[in-house]
Amino acid sequence: MQRRTLLKAGLALGALGSLPFGAYRAFAEQPLTFYGLKSMSGPFASYGKYADMGSRLAIAEHPQLLGRPLKYKVIDTEGNAGKAVRKVQEAIGQDGARFFQGCTLSSSALAVSKEIHKAGGVFMTPVGADEITGKDCNSSTFRWSVPTYGAIRETLVPMIKLLPDAKRWYTITPQYVFGDALLDNARKVFAEKGIEHIGNSYHSLQEQEFSGYLTNAIAAKPDVLVLLNFGSQSSNALRQAVNFGIKERMKVLLVWSAGLDQFQELGSDVLEGVYLGAQYWHQVDTPLNRELVAATRKVYGINPNYPLAADYIGTRVMLEAIVKAGSLDGAAVSQALQDMRFQGPTGEELIRPGDHQVLKDYYLLRGKPQAQMRDEDDLAEVLSAGRSFVEVDHTGCALA
Amino acid sequence: MTDKNPLAVAKGHGHALLLLLIVSLIGLPLILPSATLATEILIFGLAALACNLLLGYTGLLSFGQGIFFGAGAYGAALLMIHLHWGMLGALVGAALFGALLALLVGALAIRRKGIYFVMLTLAFSQMAYFLAYTLSGWTGGDNGLLDVPRPNIEIAGHVLVDLADPRHFYAFVALLFLLIFAGALRVIRSPFGSTLMAIRENETRAAAIGYDIRHFKILVFMLSGAITGIAGALYAMLLHFAPLSNIDLMMSENILIMTIVGGTGSLFGSLLGAGAIVMLGDVLSELWPRWLMLLGVILILVVVFMRGGLWGGLADLVKRLQPSRALDAKTKETL
Repeated sequence: MQRRTLLKAGLALGALGSLPFGAYRAFAEQPLTFYGLKSMSGPFASYGKYADMGSRLAIAEHPQLLGRPLKYKVIDTEGNAGKAVRKVQEAIGQDGARFFQGCTLSSSALAVSKEIHKAGGVFMTPVGADEITGKDCNSSTFRWSVPTYGAIRETLVPMIKLLPDAKRWYTITPQYVFGDALLDNARKVFAEKGIEHIGNSYHSLQEQEFSGYLTNAIAAKPDVLVLLNFGSQSSNALRQAVNFGIKERMKVLLVWSAGLDQFQELGSDVLEGVYLGAQYWHQVDTPLNRELVAATRKVYGINPNYPLAADYIGTRVMLEAIVKAGSLDGAAVSQALQDMRFQGPTGEELIRPGDHQVLKDYYLLRGKPQAQMRDEDDLAEVLSAGRSFVEVDHTGCALA
Repeated sequence: MTDKNPLAVAKGHGHALLLLLIVSLIGLPLILPSATLATEILIFGLAALACNLLLGYTGLLSFGQGIFFGAGAYGAALLMIHLHWGMLGALVGAALFGALLALLVGALAIRRKGIYFVMLTLAFSQMAYFLAYTLSGWTGGDNGLLDVPRPNIEIAGHVLVDLADPRHFYAFVALLFLLIFAGALRVIRSPFGSTLMAIRENETRAAAIGYDIRHFKILVFMLSGAITGIAGALYAMLLHFAPLSNIDLMMSENILIMTIVGGTGSLFGSLLGAGAIVMLGDVLSELWPRWLMLLGVILILVVVFMRGGLWGGLADLVKRLQPSRALDAKTKETL
């Protein structure tokens, strides 16, 4: 009986003694999970698919991070801000998630950034809403894409230089926060450059039929028609403009295009001669873009488009910041991201500490005629590239 | 005679139903991956329950439930953000917003019947969406209303329940659900509820007996609006955010689908419907990007093969297993 008791006690002590070692091993080998917020289903599923491909490319470059295996987990935002927030809350609450990248909808990104900030995490997003690095900025959130101010200045100003005789401009604008931000910035450029803004047509968020607005534009006889909508609305507006023969009467500028995947959908017949603003173009010759194009062709057999490039660089930069910080502490990683310079798809890019905005190029492209296309993705030529950003003091961001 | 009275039988089963609900409310966060998901199910269960009062018990197919859901969300959020109202005050405010809007919508919509009534609720739904979209200074427009607080339950400055913890918030929502469910059960078993069912079965006959049909319809519309408003407020508190999608037509459709899948004319079915749709969304979206098509197929299957929804299917199953203790059709309806 005594011997049995002794054996039991010995086994118990042995188990206790081995616990710290076992626990340490378990911790050391515990994977670090990086979360991708992608609209894998729902109305923005085509965007989410490419965004996810971009993040996976970046994750594949780091099999391990700080000595721990790196795991990638997709949170399907379903193109629904409510679902996105709830799933992020779950990931934070259940899995202790801290590192997030992505989001398609501005409303999702704005709400999600608040949740991640409360949890002390880090979030990088390519969404368009100026508020994300403006009045709703926070120390945990970083944004890669150029805001509306830069998109307008880097398309309108070079185009005004290219077309010195074009003095009468007409705009078509979606009536909500994003569209109004583009329109306000465009009006400032018109005033500054002595351009006559002869009219604007507002349309609703759900509009898909633009013939009425296009007829108004034709009646006003402008030199340039500026489309300030995006996504399927800009595609439909552009298609219908071409059907109306607008390209023969005036120049057309689409300020906020979605890039290659939208161009592929529209085709060269529609795009030929149209001026296009873009966050990213796969033919830009920079060191990192060459690597990205090669890797994307090798792994997926396609050229990278905007969502793929945006989520690739967002994920890559966050992972580099974790390595730089040498820590998984959200505040330390945020600190490492601030003022970080890195090779991005548009050249050397910099994260501005005052509002966490990445300073990068925005492009003005022009659609090529089919006869000049070297391959099926050679749909546009780069006319100019440049950086324009509002001073931090004027963003409304109170980080500094 | 008492034993044959369906309402009397239902009364007995009402207690069993409440017991089933309590067990479900306790079990839900234990079997689901998170308390947050369980809370979302209860919130949409409340919205579906409110829709059931209209569709299941009064025969009114309303596409306007999103209006009351969105109004509750925005109303409660604005009261908390600008006037610093507490949790209970904000919920009462949301119920009032929902009820008042339902009075407005109902007073105009119920002047017409059938397809014209449906079209009017659709029109109101579109109007409410564009109103919320236009008043971006108040609602945040397309970006949604951010920084919605989730106040604790406090008395004289003392925190009774810290609702920042998702499990505590679930418990609070579960308690509210139980109270509202019990209240709704009492309403449908009251003479008022019997009149609603009479209107559903034969409006002309109910009017001939002497009931003021419009009066009853407006009252049930207001009751439904108030409960949906509370659901909207709780959703905004859950997310700390009131997205514009709360008030769009899709929200009204989702609430209707939950009601139909769960079982029209069954309060517990509303919870089943909400649970099925919320969880199916999570599961199916992992399988196929176009999962909404699968949801459409499921809805068709339920409508064609399971007329009583999931609750009706379960009741039929129980009936087959225990034929002697089966509920008759009338009794099932009153649950």
